[in-house]
Amino acid sequence: MALSVGADSPSTLKFMELALDQAKFALDNLEIPVGCVIVEDGKVISSGSNRTTVTRNATRHAEMEAIDILLEKWQKIGLDQSQIAEKFSRCDLYVTCEPCIMCATALSILGIREVFYGCANDKFGGCGSILSLHKSGSKNLCREGVLPHKGFKCTGGLMSEEAIALFRSFYEQGNPNAPKPHRPVQVLQ
Amino acid sequence: MQWEILHIPAKPTSSFEQSTVDVLASNIEPKLANSLVRQLNQVCPLENLRHVKRVRRRSVEGKIELSVILCLSSENENHMEDIPNDVLQLINAHQLSPFNAKVARYAAASKEEWEEQCKLWPTSYHPSTNADGVTGFNEEESQYVFKCMKVAFDLAKTHYHGDKVVNAAVIVDPSCRHIIASACDQTCPRSTLTNETGSKLVSCIEREANTTSTQSDADGLASSKERLFPNFSPDKCSDLYFGVSCLNPWGWAEQRPHHQHSEHQCGNNYPWHPLRHAALIAIEKAAERDRQLFPSIGSSKNLSILDHDLKFASDSSLAKRQKTQVLKNEHSLVNKDGTNSLSSETTRPYLCTGFDIYLVWEPCAMCAMALVHQRIQRIFYALPNPNAGALGSVYRLQGEKSLNHHYSVFRILIPEKALYQVESNGSDDCPLQN
Repeated sequence: MALSVGADSPSTLKFMELALDQAKFALDNLEIPVGCVIVEDGKVISSGSNRTTVTRNATRHAEMEAIDILLEKWQKIGLDQSQIAEKFSRCDLYVTCEPCIMCATALSILGIREVFYGCANDKFGGCGSILSLHKSGSKNLCREGVLPHKGFKCTGGLMSEEAIALFRSFYEQGNPNAPKPHRPVQVLQ
Repeated sequence: MQWEILHIPAKPTSSFEQSTVDVLASNIEPKLANSLVRQLNQVCPLENLRHVKRVRRRSVEGKIELSVILCLSSENENHMEDIPNDVLQLINAHQLSPFNAKVARYAAASKEEWEEQCKLWPTSYHPSTNADGVTGFNEEESQYVFKCMKVAFDLAKTHYHGDKVVNAAVIVDPSCRHIIASACDQTCPRSTLTNETGSKLVSCIEREANTTSTQSDADGLASSKERLFPNFSPDKCSDLYFGVSCLNPWGWAEQRPHHQHSEHQCGNNYPWHPLRHAALIAIEKAAERDRQLFPSIGSSKNLSILDHDLKFASDSSLAKRQKTQVLKNEHSLVNKDGTNSLSSETTRPYLCTGFDIYLVWEPCAMCAMALVHQRIQRIFYALPNPNAGALGSVYRLQGEKSLNHHYSVFRILIPEKALYQVESNGSDDCPLQN
């Protein structure tokens, strides 16, 4: 991969900053602050932030949001499955937190090229923390006619402190699911 | 042969080799036991072997013999090399002579298993409290479970379109026995062609499942689909199963030559999405239903807390404020636990808490994790997924301790003969026709 950039190159950090902006947007909307951008040929072509609370659908992670935007866009301009698969194989994802087992599988299903993430997800991370779904499967495990598990390159730890700081502020002040405070909150004087 | 419900446990049933762990142990002087165990627990805790007792006490030729586990053995030939330094120091200080021993890898699930384990090395055993529905379905419950599975099969059947089958998912609230949501795979353009009939059928099945339907209704239902349905055989791998998203998650991009033509003729205008597996769509529908059934009514308490947040929001542009306003209303329901007097709210479940899902095929890791996220209580599937199944076949998410939610998993065994008969015309030995 001649075009692959170093993990802490300026462009990588720039994209991660954009992902962090998405995470901040989630925080502003009382969502768990995770955000991402999808990049093709050095350009951001989609972005997403976590929307699990407003949708009451716990699968609406930032990655899923960003993916859905692309699929809609590409289908609208008439791309078929193989063309869309080809597109994804040239896309990289920048996400503030390690993709969970669901999202890591989804990214593998789509055949994304590379994933950069901020902090690790030691509860349900699918890119090394709990399972390693970014590693490709062996062909002989699969039965005839079935395509093997696709892997993708994965680099973690990019601006992880910023990502963690957002989680912290969410749990400190913004979590709408948190138990009610023992003392009534003081309203502005 | 009968239909059967088989519990798929969180830990694999494994061979002796897989079910044990090699450890390094040593006989010790009884007077050393207390301090040594304390030190070992500090420098080398047995994190994943909490069921294993650190000390073994047995009588050998009338004498009491005490042995202690020092650490895990390495796979290295020369095992002394990988002993942690702290442990090595203890070995030297007390002139211990380590030996290899085997201990049980997992806590025992039954008294019999525990007795077997203790022959290797003593473990502790805590009989499970038999969590609700994990074991022992009574006859009536079993019949209901089978019935729900048949609903899933029927749904898959209606989407069978002459060239490929799809997976189907049905989310059920077992407390009131309502179907909450149901869906089929939509990863291929053609699988949604029959959507219209599918949804009609679901409402029809819903009636059947909730009320007592007459036999003729059920017959009519079955015969109308007779021609559409293939002979599901779990062990056959053919083109037929190419459209089952969880069986072949990476197959969406491969267009089969003989399908390509028709897809292009159709103009490819049908909604499809490589990630729209049946379980994910069912979750989406359940969430949508929840938003419709329980639109935003917040308690004043919650509102005031959220108002507070709103005032502190750094950016209070009008657009953002409006957005937050909407969100605020959405949120207030999530907050309700125990704080609300509105009966409609107190009955509202959090996500899919307490709900079951029925799937024809064992879900892939994406779907299985989605079901963790959405807090499904129990998963029932009929056919295993050797390619990508995440509930025992390839992965075993129900056994991943770090996850924040754990469901119980059951496979419904359907005798092949019965399977075929049930599908084709609802024969007499089908337990669902009662």
